[in-house]
Amino acid sequence: MFLLVFGTIFGGPAPPNYSLYIRNLDTDPQGNPEPLAAAFIQALNSSQVFDLKLLNPDDPAPRSTGFAAIRILTIPKGFSASLLNNTIANRIDITVDTINRLVQMAGENLPEATRANINQGLSQMNTVKQLFKTEKKPLTLEGSPDDRLLQPIEAIINTVADRFELALLNSTSTIEINTVQTNIRQLRAVDYYLPGYVAAFIMTNGLIGVSSFTAEMRRNGVMKLIAATPLSRFSWIVSLVLMQTIVSLILTAVMIAVGWMVFRIAAVPDLFSLLIILLGTLAFTGLGSFIGGVVKSAEAVTALGNTLSFPMMFLSGAFWPLELMPPFMQQIARFTPLYYFHVALRESLIAGSVSTALIPTAVVAILAMAGIILAAYTTKWRDF
Amino acid sequence: MEGVVDEAVAAEELVKKYGDVTAVDGVSFKVYVGEVFSLLGPNGAGKTTTVEILECLRTPTSGEAYIKGLSVKNLGDIRKIKQIIGVLPQEFNAVDNLTVLENVQLAAVAKQADNVRDVLEQLGLWQIRNKLFSKLSGGQKRRVGIAMALVGNPEIVFLDEPTTGLDPEARRETWLYIKNLRKSGATVILTTHYMEEAERLSDRVAVMVKGRIAVEGRVRELVSSHGGKTRLVFDFLDEDAVGVLRGCGYVVERVQGGRVVVKVDRESDVFDVVALLRDRGFEAYPEVRQPGLEDVFLSVIGSRLSETGELV
Repeated sequence: MFLLVFGTIFGGPAPPNYSLYIRNLDTDPQGNPEPLAAAFIQALNSSQVFDLKLLNPDDPAPRSTGFAAIRILTIPKGFSASLLNNTIANRIDITVDTINRLVQMAGENLPEATRANINQGLSQMNTVKQLFKTEKKPLTLEGSPDDRLLQPIEAIINTVADRFELALLNSTSTIEINTVQTNIRQLRAVDYYLPGYVAAFIMTNGLIGVSSFTAEMRRNGVMKLIAATPLSRFSWIVSLVLMQTIVSLILTAVMIAVGWMVFRIAAVPDLFSLLIILLGTLAFTGLGSFIGGVVKSAEAVTALGNTLSFPMMFLSGAFWPLELMPPFMQQIARFTPLYYFHVALRESLIAGSVSTALIPTAVVAILAMAGIILAAYTTKWRDF
Repeated sequence: MEGVVDEAVAAEELVKKYGDVTAVDGVSFKVYVGEVFSLLGPNGAGKTTTVEILECLRTPTSGEAYIKGLSVKNLGDIRKIKQIIGVLPQEFNAVDNLTVLENVQLAAVAKQADNVRDVLEQLGLWQIRNKLFSKLSGGQKRRVGIAMALVGNPEIVFLDEPTTGLDPEARRETWLYIKNLRKSGATVILTTHYMEEAERLSDRVAVMVKGRIAVEGRVRELVSSHGGKTRLVFDFLDEDAVGVLRGCGYVVERVQGGRVVVKVDRESDVFDVVALLRDRGFEAYPEVRQPGLEDVFLSVIGSRLSETGELV
C-alpha cells in the first residue's frame, strides 16, 4: 500500500510541474494584456515546467491548501512599453558599440572624413536613444520563506526572461546544450522506496510481531507447556526465525511483483540480497524475541515495540532520502539499525552493487548476531 | 537416595527460595504409579512451585526430586523426563486464533506425537476440532489444554488447577475426563484449592500450607483421623430438647444463627438421636453432615479453605 501510494505520488513517469500564479497588471484600457506581456506569459508556458494559473489584477492572493506552495509572479503596469524601449535602447547600444569597435580596429586605415561622418551618425543615434524611456519595470516574484523551490523557480524564470530578451533583440544564444541519454541509471523515487519499505516491514514484523507473539505465548502458558516437552529452546528460536524468514521472503516477493507491474521496477533478488534479507530478519526477530522475553506485560511489549519501530521508520531514511533531512537528523539516522538494513538492500537489490553494500551488510550481520544472542539469553525454558 | 521404580514421583526435602521468601519449605512426598495424587491448599501455598520443580520448569534451591527414577536436577535426565510427562500449566489458555486441532497439533509436534485424533476423541473435542479456540466455552477450552497435555500418551500428567475459573457445571464435566485418565493407566498429579475436587478425584491427598505439607494420606484415612465426628445440624431446637440430649450424654453445641449441632461417633447414632427426640415429643429434622476434607483442614490448619482459595 505504501509503495503504491508513495510511488504514484513521487515516482510517476511525468516530471513534476511547479505551480505559479501570474498577475498581469500590464493591460490596455479594455483590460486586454499588452502584447509583450502576453508573449512573455506564453514563453513561460512553453517551458513546460510551470503549472500556470492566471489571477485577475483585483483578485486576492490565493490561500494555501495542504502543503501546496503559493507563488505569485506579478507583471507590472508598463512592462511591455519598458521592455520595448529598453530593447530598442539595447539595440542602439549594440550598434554603436559594434561600430565603435570596428572604427578602432580600422585605425589609421579609416579616412578622417569617414571617421567624422561615422561619429556624427553615432552621436545622432545616441540622441535618438534618449527619446526612449529606459526605466525598468521589474517583475515581482512572491513566495513563502519556507518554499525551498522558490530559488530554483526564480532561476528558471530568469532563464526564460533572458531567452525572451534575446529573441526581442533578434538574436539567439550561441551556447548550445545537447541532451544525450547515458547508461548511468537514475534512481527513481520508487527505486528508493521499494527496499526501504521491505526493510521497514521486516523490522516491524520482528519488533512488534515477534515480541507480541513471544509475550502472549508466555502469558497464556503455551511457552510453559512447550518447555515441558522435549522441544529445546534452540529449536523454538530457530522456528521463530524460520517463520519470520518465510514471511520476509513472501513480503519481498509481493512488493517486487507490485513494483514491477505498476512502476516497472526491475529488482531481481540475487543471493547476496537474499542473504541481507535473512540477516535483517535475524536481527529484528532476535530483538523482538528479546523484548518479548524481558518485558512482562503483553501490552507493554506492544507499546515498546511501537515506540521503537515507528520513529525508526521515519528517522532512518527508509521512507525518504537522507539528503532531504536536516544534518542533525541525518546523523541520528546512522545510529538506527534500520538504516544499515535498507541501505544494504538498496545497494544490492536496486543498484546491483555488492561492493557498496558490503559495509552496511556487515553492520546488519553484527546486529543479527547480537539479536540472536539476546534472544537466546532471554528466552527462558525454566524459572519463568 | 534414588527413587524406586514403582514410585512415579518422589520428592525429598524440596526447597525453593526467592530471596527472603521461601515458597517451598522442605516438601517430601511420593506418588505411586497409576494413582491420582492431589496437592490441596490455599493460594500461595507453594503447590504450583512444587509441581513446576517436578515438571523441570523450575530449579529447586535444595532437595531432590525424581520422576520414574530420573532426577530433575540432572540435565541428561531432564530430556528423558520431558518425554514421559504431560503438563497443563496454571491459568492456561491455548492460542486464540488457532483451531482446536491446530492447538493440539502444536503440542504434538513439540512432543513428536501422533495420537492427536485419539486424544481429541477421548476428550470429546473431535467434533469441534475446526472451531477457533477463542470461540469455545470455558470448559471446552480447559479440555483443549488437557488434550495438549495428554498428546503423546505421557505416563505422568501434571494438572495445575485444572478447573479454576470454571462454572460448576463445566467443572464437573472436566472431572469426568480427569477420572477417565486413571482408567488409561496414567499417573495424575493435581493441584487444587477445591476440596470437593480433591475428595472426588484423588486416591491420596497432601494438604499444603505455607510451603509445607501439613498432612498426607488417603482421603478416607485423613477424614477418619482428622475429620472429626458425624454431625446432626438442627435449624432450631428448644432448650428442653437440648437438655434431653445432654442428659443422655450427647455433645451439643449452639452455633451461629441459633442452630444446634450434635456430634455422634457413628452414623447409626443419627437414628438414635432422632428417635430419642421424637419419643420425648420433639419434632426433629436434622441435616446430617459427614466429615470431609473441610473438617480435616479445620482440624489440622485451624482455618477453612474458601472457594476462591483463601484461608478463612
